[in-house]
Amino acid sequence: MRGILGAALSLLLAACGAASAPDRTTLAAAAAQLLPADAQLADLYTHACRNCHANAASGAPLTGDREAWRDRWRKGPDVLLRNTLQGFNGMPAGGQCARCTLPDYTALIRFMSDGEHQ
Amino acid sequence: MNLTRRRALLGTTAVAVAAGTGVTWRQHRLDREPPSPPLVDSSQHLLWRNWSGIQSAYPAQRLGPRSEEEVLAAVRFAAAPVRPVGAGHSFTPLIPTDGTLLSLDGLTGIVSHDAASCRANIWGGTRLEELGPALSALGQCMPNLPDINKQSLAGALATATHGSGALSPALHARVTAFRLATPAAGILDCSRDQNSDVFDAARVGLGAFGVMTQVTLQNVPAERLYKRVELRPTPEVLEAWPHIRDTHDAAELFVLPFTGMSAVVTHDKTTLPVRSLGTSRDNEVLLDLKRLRDWAGFWPGLRRHLAQWAMAGQQPEESVEESWKLLSNERDVRFNEMEYHLPIDEQSAALRAVLEVIETNRHDVFFPIEVRSVAGDDAWLSPFYERDCGSLALHAYYKDDYRFLFDLIEPILRRHGGRPHWGKLHSLSSRELAPLYPRWSQALEIRATLDPDGRLLNPYLEGLFGRG
Repeated sequence: MRGILGAALSLLLAACGAASAPDRTTLAAAAAQLLPADAQLADLYTHACRNCHANAASGAPLTGDREAWRDRWRKGPDVLLRNTLQGFNGMPAGGQCARCTLPDYTALIRFMSDGEHQ
Repeated sequence: MNLTRRRALLGTTAVAVAAGTGVTWRQHRLDREPPSPPLVDSSQHLLWRNWSGIQSAYPAQRLGPRSEEEVLAAVRFAAAPVRPVGAGHSFTPLIPTDGTLLSLDGLTGIVSHDAASCRANIWGGTRLEELGPALSALGQCMPNLPDINKQSLAGALATATHGSGALSPALHARVTAFRLATPAAGILDCSRDQNSDVFDAARVGLGAFGVMTQVTLQNVPAERLYKRVELRPTPEVLEAWPHIRDTHDAAELFVLPFTGMSAVVTHDKTTLPVRSLGTSRDNEVLLDLKRLRDWAGFWPGLRRHLAQWAMAGQQPEESVEESWKLLSNERDVRFNEMEYHLPIDEQSAALRAVLEVIETNRHDVFFPIEVRSVAGDDAWLSPFYERDCGSLALHAYYKDDYRFLFDLIEPILRRHGGRPHWGKLHSLSSRELAPLYPRWSQALEIRATLDPDGRLLNPYLEGLFGRG
């Protein structure tokens, strides 16, 4: 089904379709270069978050894409953390990181939204 | 006349506003998040949920061992039940524990490989999406892959995860050896020559026989595939499916309910040069099908007409890539799923019955029905044990009601002789499963010798494999 319906149905339904960022592939390539400076955090990020947050094909906000993260931050840090842990739309609960602790999640969210070495 | 026109205009406007309001209200209602459990329990233990969100737990302890010795210590001494977790892609309650959640994310990558035999020994925590490029760098590839590749290797094997292809067995059929950390027998080397009964019983083991730390896979030389995706009318595709299935290296259907159309996906080995399509739009398409459901779900005729009008004239989509890039897909529209594996000759009749039931009773369904084939194997708890299977997978958006899968779909799949996928929704108890698996009792005996105190059994697994 890869993409074959996309063109036609998107024409039909474009009015309500989510606009895809034109440079998502470029942003994903940049995201793929980023890692938390802390080794333990980098390990967690690599095995959980990065699979979607540095992947052009996913719908997740990309690491370092501050524009995409700004809307999430507007909801407040508590809502952002809660949505991360409970799951929200495409985001699976906890990013399926079975080893992460609450402080890990807070640090990982901060890293991904800033794209800076923590 | 003017008055009549004005009334007509007002009437039309009122109807349009009412319809628009109705659609907006309906969409708002359909897009509500399902209720979520609290972030922590009364003991401040952090929430764990599976990928779709329908399973949850508050493990007292989360461990991420970095050696086999640490895995062994965990299965022997950590708070029970000890449940190994991968990507959380199982919809059945295989994982929930108030004891220890054991992640193998610290044990990943390729341990060793042998070019001559095309085998690789791999850590059990390795995610399939990481394994593709890692094997490619060695000139190897797995001959088939599941639709989703987020799973850990050990998790995928434990639940008999599979791809599609009439001659292509599930992933566990390509395992030549594994190492299993068990509560009572230490770490066992298992193969057809060593601990062969454990090899047969635990190759598909639901993480209940021990923790699979290392796996040796029989791979094939890295290969390119030619992938073709074509939209065709469903009645025509249903007729042609046995031929399509048997004439390609891998083939699957996505039957699109309420559209009269199906996507036929085929893969064949090729030496053609790479022809990439770039980023997949599958998730966008799926959300378009959801919008069509949201807007026109109350009027199936209109829904079908709009879908067919939108799909008219679509040309087949073709691409050539390394196999690991084409066989799996990015699926970030979450769902719950039921899949049964039927005797291959039963598949088409069951598919027709399932499609009719959905289109008659469940206008809220918009996910495609996934139709695949899998060759038989000899793992005792494999749903493909000693028979070639045709698989049918039904999905429900994670915000939608999925109970119809049990009420309407499962009876059809059982009537056609299906065995359920271990990681996907089903209602079968031990009493109902045992007759489906000729080696059921032997497998349970072996499990009991490896884990006599039931340290690996959560309440769900206790019900399936328990000592009672």
